[in-house]
Amino acid sequence: MGSQKKRNFQIEAFKHRVVVDPKYADKTWKILEHAIHEIYNHNASGLSFEELYRNAYNMVLHKFGEKLYSGLVSTMTSHLKDISKFIEAAQGGLFLEELNRKWADHNKALQMIRDILMYMDRTFIPSTHKTPVHELGLNLWRDNIIHSSKIQTRLLNTLLELVLRERNGEVINRGLMRNIIKMLMDLGSSVYQEDFEKPFLEVSADFYRVESQKFIECCDCADYLKKAERRLNEEMERVSQYLDAKSEVKITNVVEKEMIANHMLRLVHMENSGLVNMLLDDKYDDLGRMYNLFRRVPNGLSTIREVMTSHIRDTGKHLVTDPERLRDPVEFVQRLLDEKDKYDRIIGSSFNNDKTFQNALTSSFEYFINLNPRSPEFISLFVDDKLRKGLKGVSEEDVEIILDKVMMLFRYLQEKDVFEKYYKQHLAKRLLSGKTVSDDAERSLIVKLKTECGYQFTCKLEGMFTDMKTSQDTMQGFNSAHGADLGDGPTLAVTVLTTGSWPTQPSITCNLPTEMLALCEKFRSYYLGTHTGRRLTWQTNMGTADIKATFAKGQKHELHVSTYQMCVLMLFNNADRLSYKEIEQATEIPASDLKRCMQSMACVKGKNVLRKEPMSKDIGEDDVFFVNDKFTNKLYKVKIGTVVAQKETEPEKQETRQRVEEDRKPQIEAAIVRIMKSRRVLDHNNLIAEVTKQLQSRFLANPVEIKKRIESLIERDFLERDNVDRKLYRYLA
Amino acid sequence: MSFPRKTGSPNPMSIKANDVDLFHSASNIALMQLLEQIDILFDTYANEMTNLIEASGIEELCSDLKVGADDVRMLMLAWKMKAKKQGFITQDEWRRGLKALEANSLEKLQRALPALEREVMRPSNFKDFYAFAFRYSLTEERQKTLDIGSICLLLKIVLGSQFRPQVDSFTQYLQMQKEYKVLTFDQWMGFYQFCNEISFPDLNNYDDQLAWPLVLDSFVEWIRQKNN
Repeated sequence: MGSQKKRNFQIEAFKHRVVVDPKYADKTWKILEHAIHEIYNHNASGLSFEELYRNAYNMVLHKFGEKLYSGLVSTMTSHLKDISKFIEAAQGGLFLEELNRKWADHNKALQMIRDILMYMDRTFIPSTHKTPVHELGLNLWRDNIIHSSKIQTRLLNTLLELVLRERNGEVINRGLMRNIIKMLMDLGSSVYQEDFEKPFLEVSADFYRVESQKFIECCDCADYLKKAERRLNEEMERVSQYLDAKSEVKITNVVEKEMIANHMLRLVHMENSGLVNMLLDDKYDDLGRMYNLFRRVPNGLSTIREVMTSHIRDTGKHLVTDPERLRDPVEFVQRLLDEKDKYDRIIGSSFNNDKTFQNALTSSFEYFINLNPRSPEFISLFVDDKLRKGLKGVSEEDVEIILDKVMMLFRYLQEKDVFEKYYKQHLAKRLLSGKTVSDDAERSLIVKLKTECGYQFTCKLEGMFTDMKTSQDTMQGFNSAHGADLGDGPTLAVTVLTTGSWPTQPSITCNLPTEMLALCEKFRSYYLGTHTGRRLTWQTNMGTADIKATFAKGQKHELHVSTYQMCVLMLFNNADRLSYKEIEQATEIPASDLKRCMQSMACVKGKNVLRKEPMSKDIGEDDVFFVNDKFTNKLYKVKIGTVVAQKETEPEKQETRQRVEEDRKPQIEAAIVRIMKSRRVLDHNNLIAEVTKQLQSRFLANPVEIKKRIESLIERDFLERDNVDRKLYRYLA
Repeated sequence: MSFPRKTGSPNPMSIKANDVDLFHSASNIALMQLLEQIDILFDTYANEMTNLIEASGIEELCSDLKVGADDVRMLMLAWKMKAKKQGFITQDEWRRGLKALEANSLEKLQRALPALEREVMRPSNFKDFYAFAFRYSLTEERQKTLDIGSICLLLKIVLGSQFRPQVDSFTQYLQMQKEYKVLTFDQWMGFYQFCNEISFPDLNNYDDQLAWPLVLDSFVEWIRQKNN
C-alpha cells in the first residue's frame, strides 16, 4: 500500500439540493388522515405512534403546518358529523347512552390525536394563535354534536325529564347523568349554563311553584315545612351526585323562593297550625325547622320575629290587664316568670339562641309589664311572699335562681323608684315582724339590687338591716343593765329605727297601758343616756305584743296581738264591759285603725277574744264589747290580726303614687342642673333627651314634668333663656 | 329769664356732671334753654316735697296731653324716659325723655307723640318696649311675677293693636284657667314670640315638644279642644 495523499478534512454542505417532493405533503397527510380514521374506527392498535409522530413533525418542520391543521379540522368534523347521525338515530333511553359512549370514544381518540400532533400543538399552533388540538376537539364536538339541531333540544329535554322523574320518586341512572353533565361542563361553563343549567333552573322554578301551591292548599304548616325541607335536601343531594357544585346555591335559591319566600306569610299566619299555635304548644321541632328554613330567605327571620313579638305583646297585655289575674299578685308574677321561661326555652332550643329574638322578647316584656302601673308593687309583693315563706326549704342555688329571675323582671320596669318604695315598705314589715325565711336570701337580693342600680338605691335598705342588728345589741345592754329590776313585770323588746332609712309613717296617737308606760320610760332614759341628742318616738302602729290570758272557764291562751290590740285588751282588766266610745277615749287610737283593730278581735271566727253587741260585722259607734267567755281555740298560742303586707287600698295607692311623684321632682331638677352645669348652654330638645337618659335607671321621666322643672329653675335664676334663640338655655353660675 | 323760686327746687345752676360739657359749649345755649324749660315743665307737675311727679301729677299730665291714663302712649313715654317705677317719674327720667323728644313745652310734647309711637313700633325697638312694659308694671321690690289681671290689661294695651285675636284668646284663657295665678317674665316674653311665629288661629306650626313655656302648651291645647 502506498502512502495516501493527505486531504484537508472538510465538512461540506450538501452539494445536492434536498428536494421536498411537492407530493410529499399530500402523501404525509394521507398517512395521518388514515390514522385518524383508524383511531375513530377503533383500529388504533395497528398504528405506529413513532411513525405518525414523525410524519406530523416533518409536516410542520417543512412548513406544512397549515395543511396539517386544516386537514385535522375537516377530518375530525366529518367524523363527528357521522357520529352525530348515529346518535340521532338512537331510540329512547339509548340516546343518552350512545351519546355518552361516543363522547368517551371521542375523548380517547382526541388524546391519541393530540399525542401524535404534539409537535404542532407546541410550535405551530401557539405561533399562529390557533386553537390547541385538545380544545379544538372539544369545540368541534360541541358544535357538531351538542349544538346540532337534532341533538341540542333532545338532549336538554331528556335530561330535564330524567330530573322530573327523579323528583317524582323514580330511580334514574345517576351515573349516566353525571357523565353527561360532566361532558357539558368539560365543554365550557357557558355550555353547561346555556345548554343545561339555565333551563334546568327555570323548569325547577315552575315545578316547585306548582308543587308548593298544591301543598299549601292541603297541608298544615308543620307538614308543609317538612316537605319543603325534604325537597331542599333532595336538591342539594342531586347537585352533589351529578351536577356542578356551583349549581347548588342557584337551585337552593329556586326552592327557597318558590317554596318558602312566596308563601312565608301564609305559613306563619296559618290558622290552627301557624307560628302562634306552634309557640303556644311548644312545638320545638317544628319551630326549629321553620327557623332554619326561613333564615334562608330575605326577611324570613324578621317575619317570624315580628309575629312572635306581637303575639307575646298581646298575651302579655291581656295578662296584665285581666282583672281575674290581678287578684293574686303572687300568681300574677309567677305567670310572668313562667311566660319568660317558656320563651327562653323556645329561643334556646328552636331559634338557635338568636340574639335578635332575645332582644325582641326583652322589648316585648318591657312593653307590657309597664302597661300596668301596679307591676312594681306586685313584683315587690311576689318577693315578699317568697322571702316570708316561699323560699322555705329551698336550696341555696335555687334561691339564687329565683332571685335572679326576679331581678330580670325588675330590669324591665320603667318605674323602678316605685318598686323601691314598695320594697322598702314590705321589707320593713318583714324585718319588724321577724318574718323572713332567710337572712341570707334578703341580703343576696339587696346585693343584686345594688349591682343593678348603684349604692344610692340600697343604702337605706341596708340601713334597715343595721338598725335591726343594733337594736339587738341595745336590748342586750338594756337587759343586763336593768334586767334585775324587771322581775315579774312585762318584758320589752325594742327595735330602734333610724328615721331616714325606714318608710315614713305619720306618728299616731295611742295611750299605752300603765303596765307598759314605766317600762317604756326606763328604756327611753337608758337609750338617751347612751345616745344624747337623739329623739325617740314610739311607733305604736308597728308593734306587737304577746299577752297571757285566762278566760272565764279557765281557758288559758297566749295571744299574739298588735300594740293597738294590746292597749284595748288591757282595758278589760279593769272593766267587764266597755263601749266603743270608752275604748276610743281611753286609748286615743284614731277611728279607722281602732275599728279595724276591734273587728279583728270581735268579728273573726276563731279569733274572737271579745264579744260585741250588736253582733254585726261592722263596728258602730254605739257598740259595746265584752270579753268572750266562750272563747276557744285548739292552739295555746293564738295569733290575732294580720300584719302581712296586703295590696294597697285605693287611698293608700294614691298616697304612695303622690309621694313617688313628689320625690321625682328634686331628682329631675338635680339632673337638669348637673347637665346644664357641665354643658353651660344647651337647647331644649337635647336637654330633655339627656335628662331622660340620666333618669332612665330609676323611672321614665315625663317631658311635660321636665319642662315644668326647667321653668321653675328659670324662675329661681338657676337657668336663663338665651335672648336671641329662645330654644337655648344657659346655666347661671 | 326768671327762675322760679320754690323751696326745694333745684337751682338750675347746680348742674350735673353730664351737663358740664354743654355748659362749656357756647353754641349749646339753645340746648341749655331747652333743659331749663324742661325743668320748668317738670315743676308744674311734680310734688314739691319729693321732687317726683306722682300719681296726681301724672293724671294731670295725661289730661293736659289729652291722652287717656291707660293709653299705650303713656307707657311709650315711660319707656322713652326709661322710667323705673310705675306711677312715679323722677327728674332725671323726665329730662331724659323730653330731651330725647326735643319737647320743651306741652304742645311740643303732644306733637312728639305720633313720632314716638312710630319709633316704638319699629321691630328693633318693640321687643325692648314689650319687655319694659312687664318690668315697669312690677310694684314691689322683689316682685318677679304679675298677677293675671294685670297681665290681661297690659297685653291689651301693649299688643292689642298688633295681635288682637291672639290677645283676646289668650286673655280669655288666662281668666278661665285655674292653674296659673301669676305669669313670669319668661312666660310674658314667650307670648310675644308666640304671636310673631305661630300662625293664628290655626296653630298649624305649633310644636309642644319645643321650648315653649308650659302655659302656652296648655293654651294651645285649650284652643284645640275648643275647636273640636
